[in-house]
Amino acid sequence: MRKNSLDKKQALKTALMFAFILFFIVMMIWAIVGAYTLTPTSTAEDLQGLPLWQIPLVYIWDYAQHGWICLGFAFTISGVFAEFIPKSFMLKYMSSGKPIAYAIAMLIAPLFCVCSCTMVPLFSGLIYAGGGIGPALTFLLAAPANNLLSDIVTIQVLGWQIALADIVAAGISAVIIGFLVSKTPWGKKFDQKSQVTQAHTASIELVEQPLDERLWSALKFGGYLAKRIIPAFVVGLVAVSYFQAFFPSELVETYLTGAMGVVYAAILAGPLYTPTLIEVAIGRALVNLGMAPGATLAWLMGQPYDVPNVLSASRIVGWKIVITYAVLAFIAAVFSGLLYGLLTGGF
Amino acid sequence: MKEIKVEVIGVNPPCPRCKKTEENAKKAAAKLATESVKVEIAKLDVTAKETISKYGVITPPAIAINGVVKLMGKELDAGVIERLLRKEL
Repeated sequence: MRKNSLDKKQALKTALMFAFILFFIVMMIWAIVGAYTLTPTSTAEDLQGLPLWQIPLVYIWDYAQHGWICLGFAFTISGVFAEFIPKSFMLKYMSSGKPIAYAIAMLIAPLFCVCSCTMVPLFSGLIYAGGGIGPALTFLLAAPANNLLSDIVTIQVLGWQIALADIVAAGISAVIIGFLVSKTPWGKKFDQKSQVTQAHTASIELVEQPLDERLWSALKFGGYLAKRIIPAFVVGLVAVSYFQAFFPSELVETYLTGAMGVVYAAILAGPLYTPTLIEVAIGRALVNLGMAPGATLAWLMGQPYDVPNVLSASRIVGWKIVITYAVLAFIAAVFSGLLYGLLTGGF
Repeated sequence: MKEIKVEVIGVNPPCPRCKKTEENAKKAAAKLATESVKVEIAKLDVTAKETISKYGVITPPAIAINGVVKLMGKELDAGVIERLLRKEL
């Protein structure tokens, strides 16, 4: 009898959690099909007429009103992917040292790595476990650019064309850069000295968990991400709102368009430390102020060499490798921006 | 008296999820202690060479019981850890 009521409670919990996930999926589809815009619609003119203290409030309200579906969907789905993607299988291939490791590092791994507290451990894990610097770097470069959370938000805020270009360009350059660095003399030397040669003395035998526990774990992780990212996002939006209102659009139109605009955007993206998702919001503000598509792509691709990323990587692999990949990533950002500009006529 | 060895594998300095998992492991251990089961909890750094040579690549937070990784990449409730521990008895 007791077991029976427990089963019922479990079933109800499972159904409720499914309903929650489904709700956001349906809302998102509804928004896409209905072409209901999820991006803020305030323009500089709207904002400039307001008292100073009201500007961030109006801007954040604008985001909240339009963006809650997108953000809710993004956090929920990120949690679900992180929970249900078969991790041990992927990790085995990623650390195999075979060419397929590059593909997995680029395509699948970023799907479940939304927060830096899983990114850096996996990076060093791959290096020591015999995956080599190549796939590990590919992973490190692709994860911030291609994770599910920022992909969904980029699609919604900047449009699917630029988001797709970002995903493809960042993915391809991550593979090329990882491969190139692994072929440099210092990359090879690093691989030799960092590999752990002993056989594993212990094992991994993951236990099965009931579905309601896994769903709860997924939602909990989604909530955890939201709790970590949204406060910083809101603070970032306060800054972006003033920027949107008062930054002279002539400056953006002069410097962030054309071929040189691509280069400037790529330079700007590095030292500016932007917590997850803020770079998309700043990107949106810059686009509103007149940044060209080519420059926008270069701006989005600048993340891998921003300051905190570079610092934490340098502790593991040393400065020589970091400088090599940062320079390569900068070249890749400029090249992709130029190519995108040429292809779309968007200088 | 039965003894179980638990390793909580996380990042150092601990991320909030790793800390939570460690706290929950302690709670589960305290519960089993009242049933005279000794649970020894150790903390491992997931990025340390020793950890990786022992277990390979894993995603934090993870929990290993008697030298076998049971779950990884998620924060674990005290109830879940307790259930895992009871399986070893």
